[in-house]
Amino acid sequence: MSERTGKFGLGRFWTMVLTLVAIYAFIKWGIPAASRQITNLPFPLPVPGTLIFMFMVLTLIALFMLVTFSDEHLEDFLAPIKALLAGRYGKLPRAAVLVAIPLIAGWQVYDATVPKVELPSSLRIQHPSSNFPKKFEAMKNPVANPDDKAIDAFIEQAKAGEIELIPQAASDVENWVKEMEPEHMLEFIPTPPMKKFLKELADGKVSKVTAKAALLEKNLFEGRALYAMNCRPCHGDSVAGDGPMADGFKLRPINFTDNGTIETIVEGYTFWRVGNGGPGLPTEATPWDSAMPEWKLSLTEEERWKIILAEYDLAEKTPRIPEGH
Amino acid sequence: MVGLRELSTPSPGHSAATLSRGGRGLVVPAAMQDPLSPGGRGRGPATRRVAGRVRGIIPAAIAVLLVGVFALPAFAADTPSAPMPEETDELRARGQAIYFRRCSFCHGLLGDGEGPAAEFLDPRPRDFTLGTFKFRTTQSGELPTDLDLFRTVSRGLSGTGMQAFDADLIKNGLSEEDRWAVIAYIKTFAQEFEDPDLDPVKTGKVVKLPQSRAPFDADTIAKGKAVFEKTKCWECHGKLGRGDGQKSFDRKDDWGFPIRIRNVTHPWKIKAGTDVEDIYMRFSTGINGTPMPSFIKALNEEERWQLANYIKSLQHRRTNHQVLKAVPVLGGVPTAPDAEAWRQAEPMDVRLTGQVVGAPRWQNPSIELATLRALTDGKEIAFLIEWDDAFKDTVHKGDAELDPKELRKVGGYNSYVAANGMVTRKLETFRDQIALQFPIKPPEGTKKPHFFRGKPSNPVHLWVWKADLAEGGKRAVVEAVSRGWRQKPKAQAQAKQQIAGKASWNQGRWRVVMKRPLVTDDKNDVQFAAGAFIPMAVNAWDGSNGEHGLIMSLSTWHYVFIEAPTPMRVYIFTVLAVLIVGGIGFWLMRKVEREDG
Repeated sequence: MSERTGKFGLGRFWTMVLTLVAIYAFIKWGIPAASRQITNLPFPLPVPGTLIFMFMVLTLIALFMLVTFSDEHLEDFLAPIKALLAGRYGKLPRAAVLVAIPLIAGWQVYDATVPKVELPSSLRIQHPSSNFPKKFEAMKNPVANPDDKAIDAFIEQAKAGEIELIPQAASDVENWVKEMEPEHMLEFIPTPPMKKFLKELADGKVSKVTAKAALLEKNLFEGRALYAMNCRPCHGDSVAGDGPMADGFKLRPINFTDNGTIETIVEGYTFWRVGNGGPGLPTEATPWDSAMPEWKLSLTEEERWKIILAEYDLAEKTPRIPEGH
Repeated sequence: MVGLRELSTPSPGHSAATLSRGGRGLVVPAAMQDPLSPGGRGRGPATRRVAGRVRGIIPAAIAVLLVGVFALPAFAADTPSAPMPEETDELRARGQAIYFRRCSFCHGLLGDGEGPAAEFLDPRPRDFTLGTFKFRTTQSGELPTDLDLFRTVSRGLSGTGMQAFDADLIKNGLSEEDRWAVIAYIKTFAQEFEDPDLDPVKTGKVVKLPQSRAPFDADTIAKGKAVFEKTKCWECHGKLGRGDGQKSFDRKDDWGFPIRIRNVTHPWKIKAGTDVEDIYMRFSTGINGTPMPSFIKALNEEERWQLANYIKSLQHRRTNHQVLKAVPVLGGVPTAPDAEAWRQAEPMDVRLTGQVVGAPRWQNPSIELATLRALTDGKEIAFLIEWDDAFKDTVHKGDAELDPKELRKVGGYNSYVAANGMVTRKLETFRDQIALQFPIKPPEGTKKPHFFRGKPSNPVHLWVWKADLAEGGKRAVVEAVSRGWRQKPKAQAQAKQQIAGKASWNQGRWRVVMKRPLVTDDKNDVQFAAGAFIPMAVNAWDGSNGEHGLIMSLSTWHYVFIEAPTPMRVYIFTVLAVLIVGGIGFWLMRKVEREDG
């Protein structure tokens, strides 16, 4: 009774079922697979559930119109269903289908109505600006951009052979000077800008540009010492957010070597974040999960700026330039 | 009762299943052969990271395959692709520049381990001037090989301030040549490296891995356990490996600093590698400068290999979930920590770390893991908290506590507590404590109080169990309210103290039970309702590690959850759906049959 129709002789009913399955498979797996080829990302981009639902509803409407196009089509489509119900494929398959379909329906209803246990989760904004005070926007790091007065003072100290260092770094340098008996105490910094400065100093003709570069080296040294003492336990000695204590926090310390962290923000923002820590964050950045201290309670402004200088240097990044200034 | 003791330790069989190793049996050029098996070592984070980056990108995958076939050691995080270059002045100068920028702040400009950060670290940064190195593949007392130094610089020492410097592991790490340059410079600090008679490679003092290595299975592990007993490893490391042997307190290293005996069940604290090969090397070579001897004469290769397998089997595998389910029990929740009922509860491991949010900051915490279980009978809830602590500290001397005033000054020297000298890290000074922390207000959405003691507008409820109170037979759990770390938590009124606590300490492990009615009439208490996720954090103190006040370890927020019974309507809807759809099917069948005639 059921005539084979269509190119493949499948019959209208099975053609419809196959079409439906093929379209679902294409949306569910085909598009994400193609997305990986297109975007070159290591993960697929899934099609959202609501979009899948809409596509499938449209498909069903189209198929329904096709089936009900004429009485003949409808008759063709219903033939295998009627044959099954009449028991022409055997009694057992009929019983199996008539039991399976209500059970599937029951399972769907149970799944839809049973209360789901889901962990409360929230999207976290990493660099919130909703409460970022404007006055920090254009701030420049004073220890990275020393003024003439600071440079002159440094030259005077260098000439006298008495460089002022922060107490945290001074004793290690003192030990080094005692042991090595160098011609100038600044020789403990074995970098080209410092070597150039010390040579000019010995020759008695110091240029401001060289002195500024040498002063920067001294500030960097102090910043690295302060970083190692204060920040390294969490952010790591390689500033990769992997310090010895990092595993203990649900919100891992930021990895400064990642693109999109400290290079996407202005220095003033970094300074504000270091000073106010987790508690200074707005709600969208889940301040209750952040272990970042309010460093303004422990470190002076100069100490914080020196740390920021060293942090950018260790991460091999530069801060974003403020706009419109 | 033995019952609970091993609940949170994995069975040997369990670990064995996850210990399959790749990369074995690859032919490695002789010059690159490392006693620590280069083939087996590639599965470190480096390999995993590389694999993650290239997944699905076909050309890259092919490249990786080619590299894997032709140059596997280049992959291995700590095995160089070529031998150490000649140690020229140029190489040493390059090393000095790197050392100045990356190493000197811990190890000191003179290599004496006295950099600005050193006094806050325990274990202390290595003093290179003495030529004494802990982690080697050479006989006890010998210098390390160049490859040993390369391995330490490359992969770091887990659980210490020494981190990995391999450029394959971290983005701004050091290239292979840079690492060799630094090593060449470090060697200038100790004269011993200049003496060819002390070169362990030339004098044949390098320890090799055994020729035949029995597989990691129940049989090898059992034999290893017998070696552990016979060799009396437990005198220091404790019968269960928790570092609680009677000889283990107040030992000092050659530099005069106190050392703690390793709890070998915590792999993240095992400094020089957690693989069987690494463990084998540790007791074959000894750890120079510490009481850990070499067993190369006392035990043969086979016995040492078995022992290494046994130690490997003791390593704890952490659970990964953030939600502690309070499992329903009938007939009341248990009070005793060793009650049989706890077997029904699913454990959740909580990772803790030092308190660094507010001064006094502490980066040498002793307790880094607590395992929690929860049971409820619908009226009460009971928590079982287990953690390893090698020493039972039940005395508290209030006058020995640190006054944090100096450490809280803006622009003070430092806000961290020094590892030695600032607080007493000895027995009989401070008590052991554990605390559970919950928000007092039910959280709205994901909003919570700060994980470190809340804040004035959003306080937390603390359940603090104190070992000295328990020992004295008093109510051991103090209920307190905290409004941020800057003020001391306030104990609740005597009449409102309603948490029952019971504890036991055995073989280096505390087990504490705290229980309370699910609901109380105190508005400053946490209330437990079925179906809600209640944030929970853990604070812990090890008294003999000098911990008290804010000098402690803590966790960030986790959750406790009591399952709500499924509402009746769900079952009704389900049954209705089955009946209606079944009915329609039956009706259609009859209709078609009738039509057919």
